[in-house]
Amino acid sequence: MFKKNYRQDNGVAYLLLAPIVILLTIFVVIPFFYSLKVSFYNWSFYQPSVFVGFDNFKFVLEDDLFLNSVWVGIKFTLMVVPASMVVSFLFANVIKGMRKGSASIVKTSIYIPTIISGIVASVIFVFIYDYMGGLANYVLSWFGSEPRAWLADVKTALPSIAVPAIWLGFGLTTLIMLAGLHDIPESYYEAADLEGAGTWQKMWYITVPLMKNIVLFLTVTGFTGAISQYELSLVMTGGGPLDTTTTPNLYILNHFRNDVMVGNSIAASLLLFVVLGSISAIIFKVLNSEKAIDG
Amino acid sequence: MKAKLTIQKTALTAIAAFFTLLALFPLAWVMIAGFKEKTEVLSTPFRFFPKQWLVTNYVDILKDAAFQKAMLTTFGGAVLFAVLSLLVNASAAYVFARLEFRFKTVMWLYVIITMFVPGMAILLTSFIVVNKLGMLDTFAVLVLPGVASAGAMFFIRQFYLNIPLALEEAALIDGAGRIRIFTSVFLPMSYPVFVIVGIGSYLGYWNSFVWPTMTITNPDLYQIMQYLATFRSERSTEMGMLMAGSALSALPTIVLFLIFQKYIISGIKISGLK
Repeated sequence: MFKKNYRQDNGVAYLLLAPIVILLTIFVVIPFFYSLKVSFYNWSFYQPSVFVGFDNFKFVLEDDLFLNSVWVGIKFTLMVVPASMVVSFLFANVIKGMRKGSASIVKTSIYIPTIISGIVASVIFVFIYDYMGGLANYVLSWFGSEPRAWLADVKTALPSIAVPAIWLGFGLTTLIMLAGLHDIPESYYEAADLEGAGTWQKMWYITVPLMKNIVLFLTVTGFTGAISQYELSLVMTGGGPLDTTTTPNLYILNHFRNDVMVGNSIAASLLLFVVLGSISAIIFKVLNSEKAIDG
Repeated sequence: MKAKLTIQKTALTAIAAFFTLLALFPLAWVMIAGFKEKTEVLSTPFRFFPKQWLVTNYVDILKDAAFQKAMLTTFGGAVLFAVLSLLVNASAAYVFARLEFRFKTVMWLYVIITMFVPGMAILLTSFIVVNKLGMLDTFAVLVLPGVASAGAMFFIRQFYLNIPLALEEAALIDGAGRIRIFTSVFLPMSYPVFVIVGIGSYLGYWNSFVWPTMTITNPDLYQIMQYLATFRSERSTEMGMLMAGSALSALPTIVLFLIFQKYIISGIKISGLK
């Protein structure tokens, strides 16, 4: 995988690698193997642990609350990812057509939410959804609707958390899309113009096919990001009402905090790890291969 | 035709303006709400601007000793974290980009595989590890665990792979050691990639919430997000101060981003996607 060079530098190499290897070993590798081990034990802070084989995994897969949290995660992902992809794609096209000066103002502005923490976003949106003085109900009142308890109603709680998630992520998605758009040669569009193609035709027949890989990449990273989200629900609703906003990671975190049966929640996190880990391994493979983006 | 184009252009500008305002609105709102009187923050009907612009909330939160401490320690921690993370990950990136040594592929896989371990799967066992190391309630527990990052290393390595070999060959022939070449050829050229990775690390530290909450119980070491969450649950009547505090907590990152935005936004291009 690496081409041979004219000399070897074992000493220097290991000296410079030592910090990263030691730190990763202590804070990632050891905890990971520890987690693997714990997932096969009936382990708690208070009792000696007992080997239980696959019982923890079985328990988790049969636990309605965990299955429910996976379902919540999937629903949440379906609310966040398609919406931000469509908005970002269209908006990136709008930015591409803008003059340089105004484009850079827009780019900076939409990137700002990306650097805001989940905690601050939660604080802001909890106020926006406030029953009495919140903006959301104020906007509803323009249309003559009754105010809603956005975060306390089983029907609206999850979508209400999806909105800040989209807000936090769509700037970066848009800018990545924009970078992809800039890589499509102008000559393709000029040729299409000569053939008399309209705006939508050009978008459908040139832009969309050539953006395929970027869209794929963003879908997969968006999926793993959204399904791992827990900070927003943790602060905004604590997972309620009736667990409708308990995402898988929040389920795991809540079990860490409240349970004595740690093995179960670690088993749950490892199951998720298998799924999410394989997905990110695939992305990495696509990215690391030279022909990541054709066209 | 011409009229149609103008309409189209106006429509597009309107859309762009709308989305830009939408992106900035929540943040602008929290900043402006910080200037409202305590009871006015959630008064009905909703008002965007305060009846009267008051600085009391901002003054009060800035005077709060715990807030000052949280801002300062988080800032110091984030800067230290970013610097350490650049040092550790850039040296490894250089080694993997340029040096030949025994078991290179094994070491590479060992480091890269850690990228796929999700934080949640090791959150609790990391806690047990740092507990056994006696690191709880220390500054080290906030900074050290995240410093080594395979992702950051990989990103920097991609950048180093694009530095032409010719630049270091002259130095090699002159007999300069590998470490000299790293410090005198690679580090000075790393500015663009360091800005991106450094700010990424800084942000990761600044915005982190769950890890500090788990490992820090001493209020003197509260990090800013932990402080805000605690403030929210313990002093829920002080909504104006919470608004002001949230706005102020976002300010350093926004300023930092505005200073380096050119690199960050163009960095999206070299991020390996293209």
